[in-house]
Amino acid sequence: MSSLAEMATTFLAPRDRDAVLGDLAETGASGWSALRSVMGLVVRQQMEFWRAWQPWVASSAAFAGSLLLLGVSFGLSVDSRHLLRGERGYGSVLCEALLMLSWAWTSGFAVGSLSGKTPWVSGMLCAIPCLSCVLRFQDTSLSRLCVLLFLLPGVVGAVQGVRRARLSHRTALTLAIAMTALMLVWGGMYMRNWFLFLPAWWLVAHAERSELSNEKLGA
Amino acid sequence: MLGEFEYVLMTAAAGLGESAYGAAIREEIEKVAGRSCSIGALYTTIERLEKKGLLKTWMGEATAQRGGRAKRMVRVTPKGMHAAKEFYEAMMRVSRNASWATGKPERAS
Repeated sequence: MSSLAEMATTFLAPRDRDAVLGDLAETGASGWSALRSVMGLVVRQQMEFWRAWQPWVASSAAFAGSLLLLGVSFGLSVDSRHLLRGERGYGSVLCEALLMLSWAWTSGFAVGSLSGKTPWVSGMLCAIPCLSCVLRFQDTSLSRLCVLLFLLPGVVGAVQGVRRARLSHRTALTLAIAMTALMLVWGGMYMRNWFLFLPAWWLVAHAERSELSNEKLGA
Repeated sequence: MLGEFEYVLMTAAAGLGESAYGAAIREEIEKVAGRSCSIGALYTTIERLEKKGLLKTWMGEATAQRGGRAKRMVRVTPKGMHAAKEFYEAMMRVSRNASWATGKPERAS
């Protein structure tokens, strides 16, 4: 069997890797034939993932969320500059920063939990607007990287979403209510900001549905 | 309802019984159905059928012939047997008047 085919099996789950390499060894497949077989499986598995609605929603949310959060990060950077000049109060900028963190984290968590086996596509779709924005950034008084403030909490959320898949209902509800209250205190009630609550409230609905189905299974 | 390849795979697995695993099912399909069966088609279909609860899979023994790699063993579940039976009966019903099923010569159109 070719080492290329063995390398290609790294795209497979460990269980599939063992079974496929064993099958190839047993049938005596080698070289290109083995590589073609493995790549065929990899491509088919990827296509199979996209038969579900979740990767489509995750990818769209990653793209749209990234666009909206770029604006939020830029707004926060501008307001932080105003704060340093004494043109803004601490409370307002703190609220904005906390909201940005929680929007980014909940968006990342929702995208991560929906992405399942396609996190790289969601990651790429999030990176495209970021790169485009950084390259076109023209405000010389601010660093280009100021638009990427949301990335760290977003990535942390996405990784946790991939690992844990859902929050407990109580945690999700507390988080969503706290975020909404923070928004009401802060007062930045733009359409864009309301859209950014969708992941947080989706996490609440998802947690509730999961807990209900677990209860049904337990009963 | 099952797809054609899903039915072929489940029938091959059921026929092999306790010794149904990836390479053996593939060989059986190629031998009996006379069609080629790629590893990709085989494992993605096994995965899909397992998700539907029609098959159960587990990792079996590793042999020297397989380079010390484990086999992915396959068993048709009772739900799978029911679905395969339904497919088989539907094919029998739908084929009952076809010339290749009755053995009568085909009518000229």
